[in-house]
Amino acid sequence: MATAITAPDLEPASTYAERRGRLLPYVVIGPSLLVIGGILAFPLGWLVWLSLQHYGLKELINHQGQWVGLKNYQAILADPLFHQVIVRTLLFTFACVALTVVLSTLIALLLLKVRRAVRVIVMSSLVFVWATPVIVAVDIWQWMFDYEFGVINYLLTQLHLGNFIHHNWFDNPFQGWAVVLVIVVWGAIPFVTILLFAGLLQVPSEVVDAAHVDGAGPWQRYRFVTAPILKPVYLIVICLSTIWDFGVFNQPYVLLNERPSADYYTIAIYSYRESFGVTQYGLGAAIAVILVVVLAFVTLFYVRETVRAAEIA
Amino acid sequence: MIVPGAAQGVRVGTASDRARVDLGVNLWQRSKQLLFDTVGIAVAAVMLFPIYWMVATAFKPGRDILTLTPKWFPSPLTLQNFQDAITRPYFLDDVKNSLIIVGVMLVLALVIGFLAAVGAARFGFRGRTAYLVMIIAVQMVPLNALIIPLYLQLDGIGQVDALPGVIAIYLAAVLPFMIWTLRGFVANIPVELEESAMIDGSTRFGAFWRITFPLVAPGLVATAIFSCIQAWNEYIIAYVLLSSPRNQTVTVWLASFTTNHGPEWGPLMAGATITGLPVVVFFLLLQRYLVGGLTAGSVKG
Amino acid sequence: MNLRKTWIGVIGIGFALVVAACGGNGSSNNNNPANETGTLTIWLMNGSAPPTVVDGVNADFKAKYPNVTVNVEIQQWGDIGTKLDTAYAGSTPPDVVELGNTLVAKYAAAGALEDISGKRSSFDNSGTWLQSLTDSCTVNGKLYCVPYYAGSRAVIYRKDLFTAAGISNPPATMDELLSDGQKLMTTNSSDPNFSALYFPGKYWYAALPFVWDFGGDIAKQSSGKWAGTLNSSSSQQGLTTLSNLVSKLSRADKTGDEAKQDAAFAQGHIAMIIANGWEVGVITDPKAGNPALADKLGAFPIPSHSSGQTAPVFLGGSDLGVAAKSPHRDLANAWIQTFTDQKNMTQMATVGGVIPNTTSLLGLGTGLNAVFYGAAKNSKFVPNSENWANVENANVLPDMLVKIFTGQQSIPDATAAASTRITSILNGGG
Repeated sequence: MATAITAPDLEPASTYAERRGRLLPYVVIGPSLLVIGGILAFPLGWLVWLSLQHYGLKELINHQGQWVGLKNYQAILADPLFHQVIVRTLLFTFACVALTVVLSTLIALLLLKVRRAVRVIVMSSLVFVWATPVIVAVDIWQWMFDYEFGVINYLLTQLHLGNFIHHNWFDNPFQGWAVVLVIVVWGAIPFVTILLFAGLLQVPSEVVDAAHVDGAGPWQRYRFVTAPILKPVYLIVICLSTIWDFGVFNQPYVLLNERPSADYYTIAIYSYRESFGVTQYGLGAAIAVILVVVLAFVTLFYVRETVRAAEIA
Repeated sequence: MIVPGAAQGVRVGTASDRARVDLGVNLWQRSKQLLFDTVGIAVAAVMLFPIYWMVATAFKPGRDILTLTPKWFPSPLTLQNFQDAITRPYFLDDVKNSLIIVGVMLVLALVIGFLAAVGAARFGFRGRTAYLVMIIAVQMVPLNALIIPLYLQLDGIGQVDALPGVIAIYLAAVLPFMIWTLRGFVANIPVELEESAMIDGSTRFGAFWRITFPLVAPGLVATAIFSCIQAWNEYIIAYVLLSSPRNQTVTVWLASFTTNHGPEWGPLMAGATITGLPVVVFFLLLQRYLVGGLTAGSVKG
Repeated sequence: MNLRKTWIGVIGIGFALVVAACGGNGSSNNNNPANETGTLTIWLMNGSAPPTVVDGVNADFKAKYPNVTVNVEIQQWGDIGTKLDTAYAGSTPPDVVELGNTLVAKYAAAGALEDISGKRSSFDNSGTWLQSLTDSCTVNGKLYCVPYYAGSRAVIYRKDLFTAAGISNPPATMDELLSDGQKLMTTNSSDPNFSALYFPGKYWYAALPFVWDFGGDIAKQSSGKWAGTLNSSSSQQGLTTLSNLVSKLSRADKTGDEAKQDAAFAQGHIAMIIANGWEVGVITDPKAGNPALADKLGAFPIPSHSSGQTAPVFLGGSDLGVAAKSPHRDLANAWIQTFTDQKNMTQMATVGGVIPNTTSLLGLGTGLNAVFYGAAKNSKFVPNSENWANVENANVLPDMLVKIFTGQQSIPDATAAASTRITSILNGGG
């Protein structure tokens, strides 16, 4: 694509204009660093420092913790619940991201094919979903899946797919997590679809048509023509989705009336529960730090690709 | 992402569709189109169903809401829930607060974020990789984990229970995403476009403003909408930081509909419909720039 | 750059911030109330006090302390723990907070609340405060808050359904409860949604009376250490009786909680629920409930397994605590004194419909409320440990009940596991 941008900026001349040019990048990104650093530097540092302390409610009120070094991390890593939760969160994230990306791709491709009126209807529906506050949306879903009053139970029974009257969806964690998956993916589709659609509009139809003329079927056209052009969009979308889905908190939490059982913990819920549930802020902080480390590992590939792409562009 | 001339793709498609119709009835094409359209409507219906349920419930009288057999249409229709919701104390105050918070945050985020995105996309400088990595890494930290230190930090400067504190936090939370996404949009517009305009005599800034900026506009719109939604619907930070009802946001106001014997469904759904409305209106106003900007003519070739 | 202007600006902003941070400090050292100044911040929970009562209290207080500004802020129950944690950690916590009675021990033990043992007599009716509420305020022998109001549970039932099933009097023992319930189930066997006693699985507040009635308890403390006792034979006996009732008489969600039970009751397919007094109002609410049921409702206390007695009930409710860090502790206590004085407490009972904090006013219960007020006399509380809130947050009791009712675990196994967990948490573990 474009040539390296750095070249023109590193000319050896040293006039005032040149020096100002060399300062320009820092001036431009400066405010952002100031805001992000100013607001988040202390909390992030505090989080790490907190993870090395024994910090309960008394310590919080007196602003005085007890140093325990890595004991919190040892305790968590030794806890079988932690391992269950981390594995569960990883699997859940994978399922969410895969489903979201696949469904969003299909819908985005569909948007190219439908007539304009339908496209406006579909995009508007996506925006309505996007604009609904998560907590309200989960309330509605919870009610739709309700044991007694739920529409889903009623519909499934009416469609003769079995007797779902008084069926409890959260009895069995597999079913319960399936419900959470549906809710998270439903909420995630609008943004990803819109971004992918924006990307698809940039794919030159001449190239796609040429492939069509050469005898490529729809799947091959997508795989060998469209997808590679969309690679940067997919990188961003998958990376973001992974980060967001790994940190899922609201959906299971609100779905289970703010009292999820251990079967329904995600790593983010586990961290919050340790912090505010049993007021062990040190443990909660350690879990949060582990969450970030694991997430960094998981997204390493995508982050490296994105940064590398940024260097070249 | 935005390659000159590519946007023609859609127009070319339309032209060829017209050509096909002009050539007479091609049953296979027509039924394929019908199939796509039907699937499209079905997708919209499935996605919208919970929202429909929310809005329909807002119009149902209380006793029709939690029924053992679902009532598909609100009949009798009532505006009681909306009235109930609007007359709750501090509704207008909270709407005003939300508007202020999101408005100020959005303006600041767009200015600071766009500048930074351009800087990161267009310039090479020492520490650029570190900056980019920092931007991505910061997004991995769950905001919930930072509630206490954020609170203590603001407490230290007396900004608890005050809007500026919340604005600052939302800004810091939204900037990384905005910078990262916008950087991608800007980077995908080749420098040659600006350079060719500069050869024609315009300044660097002028070239940027007239060539690059319109091409980035859809990206700006998408990230603006996204940031608005995040800030508008955010609950826990607003709840913990703002305690006087006069200072709270509309999302916290919504929480007051859930008492310890469960949510008051009718007024809650009415309230949710009302609070979701501004975001939808915001999108509808801007959507022409989102999609239109992508299909508007760009430099060919 | 104009350096001087910048410095003035910085100093100005800094000054403004300092002033803002220092705002709200009034003097409370004068003895003359009319000279006291300052701002009091009061946090009350959503739905606890009727607005008219609060206004009345503030009017009374204003008459005594004309120069003190009082801000009453209503807070939401959801995530209140998080909000309280941060508020008490900060430098300006609210001066007075309404705390759910199961939360107090946690904050008192952590040093968030003022020790008011010496000021007890300054509050009206302190000699006749409800024992359970007073217990909830007492940690290590010291008093850390003032009882505010209570809630107790009894059985709300449909008189018409009882008549239709041929039952002339409400059951007086647990055996009668079972047999009456079975009569109701038979009479209404054609209704697949019917429950004689609707009991959601996680409803631990309603399960405790059964445990207590047979002499069991959640935990006992000896020489400073707690031991979970849900696996004692008496506790297990109580749970067995309850489990029997639930399996025979209830079609409620065995893994759900009691939040929707009033709406369900209003739909008309339920004969009995165990509920708080104020739930009558929710059931008959003209907007969301079924007002037609109003004259069909009756109430009776949860029967004991021994005749002539009633089962001890869990006393819910709230207390009022003063923040230890508050710069206006005397004013805060004065406000609480006004809020809980004879006149206003009477208003709370008559207008708010909640149980007042003193046995001397229990006679105010009229109609159905009399049953709930009466039940409050025979009430018990959860283990008064600073770590009890953690037991609640770890869902030990609801999860145990769900396992029992769904048959996933036998009662001995489920109670043993729960007891072990409770022992560990109450003694400071996790």
